[in-house]
Amino acid sequence: MQDLNAPANPLETLAYIIAQQINDHSIVYIGTGIPMVAGILAKKTHAPNITIVYESGGQDPIEGDMPWSVGCPFTWRKSPTIMEMSYSFAQCYNGYVDIGFLGFAQVDMYGNVNTHMIGKDFHHPKVRMTGSGGNNDLSSLTEKMVLVGLQTPDKFPEKVDFITSVGHLTGGNSRKEAGLIGNGPAAVISPWGVYDFEPVSKRMRVKSVTPGVTFEIAQSLTGFELLKPEGEIPQTKLITDDALKIIRTQVDPRGVFTTMPT
Amino acid sequence: MAKYTYNQEAVDNLKLSDTSILDRLIDFESAREAHLKKEHAKKDKRMTIGEAVSAFVQDGDILTDGGFSYVRTPHQAFFEIIRQGKKNLQMIGAPNTNQTFFICYGDVEYSHNSYTGAEMRGIDKVYDRALKAGKVKILSEWSHGGVAQGFKAAQLGTPGFFSKQMLGSDLVRYNPYLKVIQNPLKADKDPVVFVPALYPDVAFIHCHAADKYGNAYIYGPAVNDLAVAAATRKLIITAEEIVPENDIRYNKQGQIIPFFYADAVVEMPFGAVPGNMPGYYYWSRQWWEKCMRFGGASDENIMAFCNEWIMGTKNQFEFVEKLGGAKWIAEARRQTKAAEGDNEDIDFSYEEYTLTHDSGLYY
Repeated sequence: MQDLNAPANPLETLAYIIAQQINDHSIVYIGTGIPMVAGILAKKTHAPNITIVYESGGQDPIEGDMPWSVGCPFTWRKSPTIMEMSYSFAQCYNGYVDIGFLGFAQVDMYGNVNTHMIGKDFHHPKVRMTGSGGNNDLSSLTEKMVLVGLQTPDKFPEKVDFITSVGHLTGGNSRKEAGLIGNGPAAVISPWGVYDFEPVSKRMRVKSVTPGVTFEIAQSLTGFELLKPEGEIPQTKLITDDALKIIRTQVDPRGVFTTMPT
Repeated sequence: MAKYTYNQEAVDNLKLSDTSILDRLIDFESAREAHLKKEHAKKDKRMTIGEAVSAFVQDGDILTDGGFSYVRTPHQAFFEIIRQGKKNLQMIGAPNTNQTFFICYGDVEYSHNSYTGAEMRGIDKVYDRALKAGKVKILSEWSHGGVAQGFKAAQLGTPGFFSKQMLGSDLVRYNPYLKVIQNPLKADKDPVVFVPALYPDVAFIHCHAADKYGNAYIYGPAVNDLAVAAATRKLIITAEEIVPENDIRYNKQGQIIPFFYADAVVEMPFGAVPGNMPGYYYWSRQWWEKCMRFGGASDENIMAFCNEWIMGTKNQFEFVEKLGGAKWIAEARRQTKAAEGDNEDIDFSYEEYTLTHDSGLYY
């Protein structure tokens, strides 16, 4: 059981901010990790009628414990139907999925994602990571993508070490010219800020900052030049006490995804 | 004269000096020939896992499976392959976190990659080290959806699909099987990726029930199973139980693999242990935590771990005994039923394995 009086940690903050992106009655494609917390939080708060879809085929499950895998029983708990994986991704291509959420190890100024490796040499990376899984498929096909992760200059480099998933590629029209479907990433969410992409250049731009964070602080946590919006930068709405309590008591009571790594 | 013209940029990036190693995965003619030569008569194909592995897994084969990561994965059949010491295997990693066990023993030398790791339990440090040490060589990089399309193309009886996945990414630059071409009917520029139909040599699919001929029933997600079963040259069905044919005909509604795909049928209760078998048993969380955390720390650790659990057991029954025997079975059944909403709600908290705390419990 978690300490209900402790202040929200960055992962809980993140889950709340992501959840705010989800509109009720929409179909939501969820990847492993914090997006699962956010999806279930949204369902238990402002968006009770969303349909959650997972890559191994589970859809519209009745919530149970926190899923530990996109294939585990909690992703297809009493689902009316379970799709094969190829059909599951095809639902994004065919226009049935409204919004998708994915994690990243690195994201660059155009929203391209790396989950493959840290380092430039494919054969001798500093760290080999998971590879694509469904990350590329969702990014290639989904109408609206939201990317979610922690923020440091290394995690927000000018160029990712490996393009696992295309965001806005090299900016401008390049995503469309490469043949990809959907509008690409709409937002990148870190505990310190919410970022969008300037409509013409498709470069990452500050949309709002977490209270206490300034543009300069956000810039110092970023490995490339962030665009600054016109006028005053709004503050991201802070997690409410109610939402925090729901995360800790109902969504992720054992802190599976919302405990900070030590 | 080479049979295929691969994506040369990927061949160069992957430093593949001889591309013939890539051929069999997309060699439709030889796969069709293998399917034609299979036993088409409805015969009793039951045998032990030892016999099935010995008869149907050859050194150099392209190996794959059904299930998803650690849900309905044929772990116990895999462990038998390791015990028999097969060599020079290629393995398709989607959706699969399990190549690492083979790589440790030098069984799998080539990897078709789409996901390596254990999701929320982190990246696979053993695989990371093996890759850098040259113990495993990556032959192609995929997305999960790309591999799913390759298998599905085989099942649907087509040379391949035009896909909108993987375009523009570095996957295409590290996958010799993928080529970006123009959509032939579009007037405007419209790039698509040609994903070829994929034909593994040998697949293991763990099912809930099968009859002696190989009609096999799956409950829960049938991720790529039906497509893999249709595509593979050789198919070994392992099943929690063998049932009469009439049970499949009359009672089993759901995903069914037809008998004529199967080369062998193995009765193998607990064949997915230490993973999750929908409806039957939950995964052993501590086992996987120990594998990733203790095993991940060094090559010595992972070998000690594998030697204890894989080489140190003769079969799945000894493995289940080590996990806690009847007590483990009871808990694992209760947990998976609760997870699926078929039981009372239970508290899923447990004593997590960490490097400083090992409760010795596996449920």
